[in-house]
Amino acid sequence: MLLYIHIPYCDSKCYYCSFNSYTDKFYSRENYILALIKQLEFELKRFRVKTCNIESIFIGGGTPSTITPKLYEYIFKTLEPFIMSGAEITIEANPNSATLSWLSGVYELGVNRVSFGVQSFNNRKLRALNRSHSTNQAINAVKNAKKVGFSHISLDLIYNYMNDTKEILKRDIDIAFNLPIDHISAYELTIEDGTKFSLTPEVKQEDNDLAFFIADEIKRRGFEHYEISNFGKYKSYHNRGYWQLKDYIGVGAGAVGFKKDRRYYPSINIDNYIKNPLDIREEILTKEDILTEKIFLGLRSNIGIDETILNKDIVKKADFLVEKGKLIKDGKVYKNINFFLSDEIALYLL
Amino acid sequence: MSKKVPQSHIRNFSIIAHIDHGKSTLADRIIQECGAVTERQMSSQVMDTMDIEKERGITIKAQSVRLDYIAKDGEHYILNLIDTPGHVDFSYEVSRSLASSEGALLIIDAAQGVEAQTIANVYIALDNDLELIPVVNKIDLPSAEPYRVLEEVEEAIGLDCTEHSLVSAKTGQGVPELIEAIVDRIPPPNGDETASTKALIYDSWFDNYLGALALVRVYEGKIEKGQKIEIMSTKEEHQVLDLMYPNPISPIKTDSINTGEIGIVVTGLKSVDGLQVGDTITDAKNPTAKSIEGFESAKPFVFAGIYPIETDKFEDLRDALNKLKLNDSSISFEPESSLALGSGFRTGFLGMLHMEVIKERLEREFNLELIATAPTVIYEVEKTNGERVTIQNPFDLPPAQNISKIYEPYIKATILTPTEFLGNIIKLLNDRRGIQVKMDYINETRVLLEYDIPMNEIVMDFYDKLKSTTKGYASFDYEPIGFREGNLVKLDIRVAGEVVDALSIIVPEEKARSRGLAFVNSLKELIPRQLFEVAIQASIGNNIIARTNVKSMGKNVTAKCYGGDITRKRKLLEKQKAGKKRMKAIGSVNVPQEAFMAVLKLE
Repeated sequence: MLLYIHIPYCDSKCYYCSFNSYTDKFYSRENYILALIKQLEFELKRFRVKTCNIESIFIGGGTPSTITPKLYEYIFKTLEPFIMSGAEITIEANPNSATLSWLSGVYELGVNRVSFGVQSFNNRKLRALNRSHSTNQAINAVKNAKKVGFSHISLDLIYNYMNDTKEILKRDIDIAFNLPIDHISAYELTIEDGTKFSLTPEVKQEDNDLAFFIADEIKRRGFEHYEISNFGKYKSYHNRGYWQLKDYIGVGAGAVGFKKDRRYYPSINIDNYIKNPLDIREEILTKEDILTEKIFLGLRSNIGIDETILNKDIVKKADFLVEKGKLIKDGKVYKNINFFLSDEIALYLL
Repeated sequence: MSKKVPQSHIRNFSIIAHIDHGKSTLADRIIQECGAVTERQMSSQVMDTMDIEKERGITIKAQSVRLDYIAKDGEHYILNLIDTPGHVDFSYEVSRSLASSEGALLIIDAAQGVEAQTIANVYIALDNDLELIPVVNKIDLPSAEPYRVLEEVEEAIGLDCTEHSLVSAKTGQGVPELIEAIVDRIPPPNGDETASTKALIYDSWFDNYLGALALVRVYEGKIEKGQKIEIMSTKEEHQVLDLMYPNPISPIKTDSINTGEIGIVVTGLKSVDGLQVGDTITDAKNPTAKSIEGFESAKPFVFAGIYPIETDKFEDLRDALNKLKLNDSSISFEPESSLALGSGFRTGFLGMLHMEVIKERLEREFNLELIATAPTVIYEVEKTNGERVTIQNPFDLPPAQNISKIYEPYIKATILTPTEFLGNIIKLLNDRRGIQVKMDYINETRVLLEYDIPMNEIVMDFYDKLKSTTKGYASFDYEPIGFREGNLVKLDIRVAGEVVDALSIIVPEEKARSRGLAFVNSLKELIPRQLFEVAIQASIGNNIIARTNVKSMGKNVTAKCYGGDITRKRKLLEKQKAGKKRMKAIGSVNVPQEAFMAVLKLE
């Protein structure tokens, strides 16, 4: 069983970000955590989670480093009996709020992996994205995490913001690899509805070569490219769980949970969520929906698609793609050799 | 009920003009002047009742109106104003409208002067022995030069313009005088009132409540309510259920339509098919000896395949075409199937504008999404075995070794242009295999050209080219002049090795290579990158004469998919899938709709 915890608070709203978060609701943090624990207790029952059954936890946001370790302690108290020994426990953090004491506080609670929203080591680009940290803060935060004892450290980078060049991105990658990290998520800027950038969509540049360039540069330095946007010496267990369509609990305003053929959506609005954390919308997935998801998720990552889930028609097409060198077949599993083509291949198969 | 008057007090007249010279506006103004419509009812261009006509400012169906007018002499006159369509596609309707009149107002724009269509229509009017009143319109424009324009009319047409009218349909200036001139100069009808019924159908349409209606001009005798009539070309007999006089607001009922009058005949027929324009109506028991000359069924001139984008909408398209046909007997259609586009209809039109209008009406009024293939003309093919076949779809052209001769339709093109563009136009006409018949300077600044030219060269993009090479100053009109032999071949397009039937075209052999190259290059721009490299080739028979490639796609992914919200990502993918479905899959290649019209835009 996987568990996702959503923290919908931020110091500032990044211009590209469409995730559920608020910059003006900090007063509600305690009540929010209480509500979240209420939902968590309900979900543990609904998902019939047994002792030591949780394989991984991911605390995302928003900005999880806007919440004190003290508050997380309540959550971990509830969770303690269910966490498997050796479980991967990741927390996202922003370099400006992930202080040495915060990092050591969450480390003490058992968090063993931290993922920093760095995005760039260029101050001008950081300002343009409305990030609230500086290059130096990012470098120090990573070093502090190492000092505190984290062995798994990841950072996020963004590319294809306007005027991004190979030089700018190569410098970002160089700096990243000088730090004690074992994972990078490199995301292409996407213009999402409702974000500030949706008003100026021209800030996204269309440069396909840059995507391949970044992937090559990161791979060249020894990280494995295991999903479109993810590279690592260590591969995130939690994310791989999503891509294999494992069951996952999602708690918090804006989180998503999944079990067998159902997806669960708690309220997105913080105030509503605090009032009624069990007001959860349910989506039922058809067999076709699940097949579609298995196909595109498998193609986006090195997980691939197991032949046994496919009908004859799709197998025929997949075999043709193998023949044409677009896929490879590894035992009974079709694997994609160019993740950046995954949508096109999925559309071809479906 | 409108008062009956003797033939001597009836005036039947048309208005002929080049497009945009203000014909409909003048018609509106005359109607208003006669008091048939109140100010409040006067929406602009009351006679154009179809939405598309109002939006495009053109007249497609000929309309008519009966007006009561008390002239300066104190007498009551009936003025029957017969509006004519103003586009070359509808020249047959123009000729029938004119045949119903004794006179015509020849409208010329005071700033633009004589144009090609003015000339073409004047010839039709003169063929019908009409009294012509030259009317210079838009004299309120600062750039108006009415006397120069009248000189042009005399020079280009040889029409005496001593007696003329100067008007502004916009301000109403000169219109009362013009109406008096109509009464004075246009001769009254003079038919035998005691003879058996003889009436010309000069328009017909379908009304949802009344069924098929015929708009007629009675030449001899009269039509009465309850009378049994015969349609002379088909020998079909019908009962006259009702009779009306045309009026822009609502028709006025009457018990009879007398000699010299125009009116609407209600027969209750379910389709206009049996009431074709140009046909003669007579009395069933006592028919007239001879029908009115000049009847011909409207013949489609331009053909295109029309296909629903969603393949399951085929029957809907059939229903829609049947409904349009109720009102427009000139449309022809028969089912055809294309490997590339599925099931659709090979549809015949009077011309390019007619095709555009019909496609737009199908999409707008019937909510269909359609793909139209490039328009083509009809070819007559003489095979080596002596058989003669008619080809409406280029793909159906027999293999070259079975063809002994191909004949293609020619038109006579009339073009009027300012002299400065003469060089450009002659080059364009030569490129399009035109043969010069006439080149006359009508004055020092304008030239009249007549060319014989294959229609095949016109349906491609001749209008647009003519417009762009002359900055819109040249005008153009045409009439079909029969078939001539041509040295033609079928050019096929292969996408990923497969011939795409809907993209085949017939071209002159000497142009095949350059056309083929231009075609594949234009398709290369239109076909999006696919998972594999796609070869696009042009071929004649098995000979590949041009080729290019659409490179394979490198990247197609929406990068983000985290936080477990996989449904959102799936929906994005489904949206992409729907987008691809809108394209037509040829083999495994997705081809966008524009590709099927690309041939029209080749350099």
